[in-house]
Amino acid sequence: MKKTILKNRYTLLLTILASYMLALVVEGKLTGREARVLEFDNPFFELNIRDFEGFRDRRNDDD
Amino acid sequence: MDKFSLLQFRALLTREVREHRNLFIGAPLLLAGLIFIANVWLMSMIPEDILADAIEYAAILFDGLSPLEMAPLFMILAIPFMGVLYIVALIYLINTLYQDRRELSILFWQSMPVSNLKTVLSKIVTIAVVAPLFYIAILFVLYLVGMVWVAILGLSYDVQIAGLGYMFLAAVVSLILVYLSAFTTALWLMPSIGWLLLFSAFSKKTPLLWAGGVFFLSFFLEDFIFGTQFLANWVESRANPAQYLIFSFRDVFESIFNYDMLFGILVGSILIAGAVLMRRFAD
Repeated sequence: MKKTILKNRYTLLLTILASYMLALVVEGKLTGREARVLEFDNPFFELNIRDFEGFRDRRNDDD
Repeated sequence: MDKFSLLQFRALLTREVREHRNLFIGAPLLLAGLIFIANVWLMSMIPEDILADAIEYAAILFDGLSPLEMAPLFMILAIPFMGVLYIVALIYLINTLYQDRRELSILFWQSMPVSNLKTVLSKIVTIAVVAPLFYIAILFVLYLVGMVWVAILGLSYDVQIAGLGYMFLAAVVSLILVYLSAFTTALWLMPSIGWLLLFSAFSKKTPLLWAGGVFFLSFFLEDFIFGTQFLANWVESRANPAQYLIFSFRDVFESIFNYDMLFGILVGSILIAGAVLMRRFAD
């Protein structure tokens, strides 16, 4: 196993990337990680990246 | 760690600073010089009576205010320096291990009693601890020169400048916050540091292209193999600077010891271990 992983730079890179992705996927599944969105809480304007269409509609309504 | 190991590590850090003094000392010095010249030019454009009023107003505004509470305000002045530090860190991390192989100095270092782990760790400590020190020192000199200059101007216009002392104290305290922010940023971005070092140790040509290309390819691979998008979610969930910048001394412990930070360091360690192992392929 160790010999195979350290056989050349490509096998080592693939192993490291696979471990990295596996760690992220497992952690993501366990914690149910979701992307955080930028939400600005101020009286002048509101921006929620997830609700960008709604933001555009509201702007059109204002116009 | 015994005394010999400490001396060895110090020598490795000294080597990094000497080899990259343009990035760690030259770049912030140039920026400080440009900012100073721009300020002198701006001040020369303002009429004397308005300048005198502005100095007096600043002195009255800051007089008696707590430097600890006002410090975050002065962190804004450090933004150009932090921006340059991030760019410098990117250039340094992507080139450092690649350059060692290209100029064959890796063979010399591997013939010395220095392990690959220590060499890679010295590069991480350089960018997380040592490089910000130079930036902060140059910012301090810039603040000092600026303050002395404003004080002399204030005295020559015969205005009360006692409050400027509080302003200077707040600026100095802000430098500690900026340094802590640079350190926590490095910890928070440990996966990025590991990623850049891994491809710096791996690629035979154009390491930045490899690092960027594989980064985006991994999103597609994850979607293709696992049918999930946790990788993209993870990157997106860590992209807000408010998660790692420090604006108050009370935030230090909370910023370092939280789940997201520690998990990021763990993931970064996987990539850094890859960079250490990759050093065995010196060709």
